[in-house]
Amino acid sequence: MKIKFNIRRFNPDDSKLNEPYFQAYDVEVTEGMTVLEALLKINEEQDPTLAFRKSCRSAICGSCAMKVNGFSKLTCSLQVIPEYKKKGRMVIEPLANHKQVKDLVVDLNPFWKKIEKVTPYLTPMDKEHEERSVSEEDEKTIDQSQRCIMCGCCNSECNALEIDSKFIAPAALAKAWRFVGDVREGDKKKRLERLSEEHGMWDCVRCIHCTQYCPKDVAPLKQIEMLRSSAMKAGILDNPGAKHVEAMADSVRRVGRLDEAAMTFKTLGFLRSIGMIPFGLKMELHGKMPLPILFPKIEKIEEVKKIYEEAAKQGTEQEKKKEE
Amino acid sequence: MADKLRYAYYPGCASQEITKEANVTTRLVARKLGIELHDMPKASCCGAGLLTDYDYQLYIAINARIFAEAEQMGMDIMTICSTCLMVMRTANYNLKTSPELLAKTNEILATVGLHYRGTVEVKQLLWVLAGEYGLNNLKKKVVKPLDWMKIAPFYGCHSLRPSNALGFDDPEMPQSLDKVIEALGAQPVDYSGKTKCCGFQVDLVAVETAEVMTATRLLDGKKHGANCFVTPCPFCHINLDNYQNLAEKQVEKKIEMPVFHLSQLVGLALGLTPQDIGLSRHLVSPSRILR
Amino acid sequence: MRAAIEAARAGLNVAVVTKIYPVRSHSVAAQGGINAALKETDSWEAHMFDTIKGSDYLGDQDAIEALCKEAPSDIMELERMGAIFSRDAHGHIAQRPFGGAGYPRTCYLADRTGHSLLHVMFEQLMKHGIYVYDEWHVVKLVAEDNISKGVIAIELSTGKLHRLHSKATIIATGGYGRVYKTTTNALSSTGDGMALALNAGVDLMDMEFVQFHPTVLPRTGILMTEGARGEGGFLLNSKGERFMEKYAPKVKELASRDVVSRAEQTEIEEGRGVNGCVLLDLRHLGAKKINERLSQIKDLAINFSGVNPIEEPVPVKPGAHYSMGGIATDNDGGTKVTGLFAAGEAACVSVHGANRLGGNSLLETIVFGRRAGLKAAQFCKDAKLYPFPDRFLKDASQEVAVIYERENGESIFKIRNEMNDAMEAHCGIFRDRDRLTKGYDKIKELKERFKKVSLTDKNDNYNNELLHIFEVGQMLDISEAILVGAINRQESRGSHYRRDFPKRDDENWLKHTLIYKDGEEFKIRYRDVRVTKFKPEERKY
Ligand SMILES: Cc1cc2nc3c(=O)[nH]c(=O)nc-3n(C[C@H](O)[C@H](O)[C@H](O)COP(=O)(O)OP(=O)(O)OC[C@H]3O[C@@H](n4cnc5c(N)ncnc54)[C@H](O)[C@@H]3O)c2cc1C
Ligand code: SF4
Ligand code: SF4
Ligand code: FES
Repeated sequence: MKIKFNIRRFNPDDSKLNEPYFQAYDVEVTEGMTVLEALLKINEEQDPTLAFRKSCRSAICGSCAMKVNGFSKLTCSLQVIPEYKKKGRMVIEPLANHKQVKDLVVDLNPFWKKIEKVTPYLTPMDKEHEERSVSEEDEKTIDQSQRCIMCGCCNSECNALEIDSKFIAPAALAKAWRFVGDVREGDKKKRLERLSEEHGMWDCVRCIHCTQYCPKDVAPLKQIEMLRSSAMKAGILDNPGAKHVEAMADSVRRVGRLDEAAMTFKTLGFLRSIGMIPFGLKMELHGKMPLPILFPKIEKIEEVKKIYEEAAKQGTEQEKKKEE
Repeated sequence: MADKLRYAYYPGCASQEITKEANVTTRLVARKLGIELHDMPKASCCGAGLLTDYDYQLYIAINARIFAEAEQMGMDIMTICSTCLMVMRTANYNLKTSPELLAKTNEILATVGLHYRGTVEVKQLLWVLAGEYGLNNLKKKVVKPLDWMKIAPFYGCHSLRPSNALGFDDPEMPQSLDKVIEALGAQPVDYSGKTKCCGFQVDLVAVETAEVMTATRLLDGKKHGANCFVTPCPFCHINLDNYQNLAEKQVEKKIEMPVFHLSQLVGLALGLTPQDIGLSRHLVSPSRILR
Repeated sequence: MRAAIEAARAGLNVAVVTKIYPVRSHSVAAQGGINAALKETDSWEAHMFDTIKGSDYLGDQDAIEALCKEAPSDIMELERMGAIFSRDAHGHIAQRPFGGAGYPRTCYLADRTGHSLLHVMFEQLMKHGIYVYDEWHVVKLVAEDNISKGVIAIELSTGKLHRLHSKATIIATGGYGRVYKTTTNALSSTGDGMALALNAGVDLMDMEFVQFHPTVLPRTGILMTEGARGEGGFLLNSKGERFMEKYAPKVKELASRDVVSRAEQTEIEEGRGVNGCVLLDLRHLGAKKINERLSQIKDLAINFSGVNPIEEPVPVKPGAHYSMGGIATDNDGGTKVTGLFAAGEAACVSVHGANRLGGNSLLETIVFGRRAGLKAAQFCKDAKLYPFPDRFLKDASQEVAVIYERENGESIFKIRNEMNDAMEAHCGIFRDRDRLTKGYDKIKELKERFKKVSLTDKNDNYNNELLHIFEVGQMLDISEAILVGAINRQESRGSHYRRDFPKRDDENWLKHTLIYKDGEEFKIRYRDVRVTKFKPEERKY
């Protein structure tokens, strides 16, 4: 079956063509052929100048991530025919949120820099040379995060990174949990404090792209959630992200609902909330200002309160069991 | 339709206050379409994703309590908020796929005399219209086709991802909102931002990111020829409409893009008036594109 | 990377040069595990015996002793560095049975052991602040008067040639699986370091020993780990028979790899195959075990062969997997050239002899990587830095320029494909003089044609075609070395099976093949095997 591949190319060295452009290739595709195989075929039979990264061709080295029909994928584990049948086209582009340096190759330096930022190595609790026993359950808590192959799909899809290039981004955050969640790690609190700074874990907009497009089921957002709740449990609360969550949890406990006004106040603090007043007045004009005093409680709010207590109890019991 | 559709109705916190208009309109629309909505007086907030960061087990238990109420009512839940949808469906998915979690959660529920068996489904208005109710049936009810409108469907994040827990629409090429727009006689506009994020979750945490993000989405739709936006989610609405003004200032560009709640758009096509559907509550006035 | 870390710990200024990012290295694909005698009921001597027997007595026993003795402490060190292993009920590192081993001594992380260890190495690299030349492709090892001066590398992003001047150089460039058509190896496993070393005047040892892995997916060559059989998988022929009962009645599927691969090839050639494959049956393990212990295998089988091992048996066949041979080194990675070291799959110490046991090569990279790093560090403390004459860089630039200028030559891909086919057909599992000679002639022909290849891509940056020309040139050298070794070894031992000499011959052939280059000509010498504890005996499974 012949399929047209539209590939976004770019070569900064070519003075005639130093803008990105699309080039089409007709490729004879066989059943089971992967996108990477098709690209290699283009290299061999039509155009050796097309540049892209590849190595293991078995979805484990992380080289071959690209955008296929608009979304970041490992091309070596994506079959052409089903993808083409579903989307009716075959558009290949380099990863987003990274600079295209040639054809399908992007500049990954910022990616590695972000990984380096989270001190990506274990700082063991006890230094003597002896195996530390690790229960199956402890291993499981970090197992998912350590499946990461550093392919960059998540960062390419990350909406927060799209807007804020300084955002630490999902790959590094998943890596961070791999250490924070490790029972052998000694510097958990320090790590969590650093992650709570600006452009850190609280800047994630929860768009769920990372979890959706990670080819190895690392679910970075889930790791971020665990980092956040660990930070809160460790008492690292003096930042807008944690305050926001605290305000929320408090509001639900009190009235069973999300109380916007109280949350704004608690998250931003008194002064910045005052700054919101002109904006609030405009909202008020349209009847949009929530009125905290009148906020009705849900029925049986006492059940919610009890659930808070019970969940907290379960949590401490678990901690205790772990200590033993 | 064989049976009358009945749902345990969960408007979500936002639509009980800030975006009241969506709640009011949904009730009117449901009446016109013959969908029964039953209130859930005990239902608390789902946690809006934030409780997950606070304590995972608490988040699950709070949601299980909501499901238990619907289970007692013998109905599935319908919400009009994508974030509620995602949060509840994820909790429900985890409960249904992990017997351990379900047992642990029921231990907590037992202390308030409740139990969740795991039989409830959670849906949102968009899914009900495009799914059970059916686009053809919807089309039949249209009295005022919106044929002059070019609408950018803004799916946002939480009606699409994570697809394992949500599963109604394909996150890479969602159809439902486009189809509803067509059923109402209007023309959907295609643009890549339609599956992306409005920035709501960091409105108070990373203000600049949130505002630039909001502006980027609106400008993207505008560039592709939209004269208004529609979203199934009140949080997206807050950012796209209420904060549009701030977003404009942040990127120093005029946007002036009216944004509808899904229910409002349906309401208009079913013959409801701008007063009925609370359009005066919008910060960016939609009056210029109304006929 | 293990070597670099050790050298950095010894206080040296170290840099790593790699043609792909460090975490892309092919070690990442190792699935099954890494061996060490950790338990009280196990012993390093038992590990040593299994390794020697597996090697068909060609391994050097002093080297194997070092490997097995130092394994437990090296594993513990990895654990301290933060490596994650699957654990047993007591929280200790779990171990699974592996082919050719008399004790379950393979440590693992599910089926992602190599991934786990490689990423830990990368973490330690960052911890020690070791500089990495990412995407720099070495095209020359520079040695003069038997003294190593450093390397010349192409920076991919610019196409510039650079001189990297050093007191000591350690080669750890991995295997050459890409010489063959069906291989489990990555596209980057082109054996560069071996050929570069050969051309720098170093000996290659035991190149005729190529391991064919018994369970490889057809077409793509993707590996189904030995762990799949370790966990209890069966191999079936077209009649549904567990044919390994016939070839290795005692251990069946867990016989050593050469034995299983030959059994499969025999079944296939005698008409009991299924479309050129046999079947790997995991169904009886159940969904739970497959999902927990072999989840990657499941994904690979589904994505690359469209078969879900929970429901159906997976068609598999033998494929080129591992290079037992390589750069001849002493037990500390040293080579004939002063200041030039080698470790990992690129090196031949030799611990694997004629056949490597699963789980021993990750171990080799760790134990001998550490040793080479330490030795290089000691060496550098006293050694002086010899000048790196400019002419080497000039010559290399000239060589590249010539390739750029050549017009209307042959395509490099065509030559590579013909090489792949020739090696598969003439130098595979079953060999004889005829086939091998045909293969040799073909490689010689390709070498001539190679001199006339030209480039379509005349750009400098990310010119993969140019790099591939270097890789293929090197693989042609490697192919020739394999063939020369294979033609001359007139016996069958381990992975090297001659139909015309089907017996092992300890009297004449208990010795290592050493290949070196004299001008363009490949020459052979032999060296005796170092036997210490275990006398050669017949190998039965
Ligand atoms: C699919 C598979 C599964 C395996 N499973 C196991 C197992 O379960 N247990 C086990 O013990 N062994 C296993 N092995 C074998 C083992 O993985 C390898 O022998 C070992 O990982 C080799 O490691 P290495 O460090 O020598 O080389 P590699 O990991 O291949 O690294 C080579 C490095 O050299 C660099 N390089 C190469 N050429 C150049 C050049 N010209 N210029 C610059 N840099 C260059 C590359 O960039 C790369 O970083 C397996 C092998 C395969 C293929
Ligand atoms: S959920 Fe957060 S980290 Fe993940 S892609 Fe979205 S913004 Fe980025
Ligand atoms: S988290 Fe997933 S998507 Fe992100 S780099 Fe790792 S493997 Fe790739
Ligand atoms: S080539 Fe290694 S992940 Fe695709």
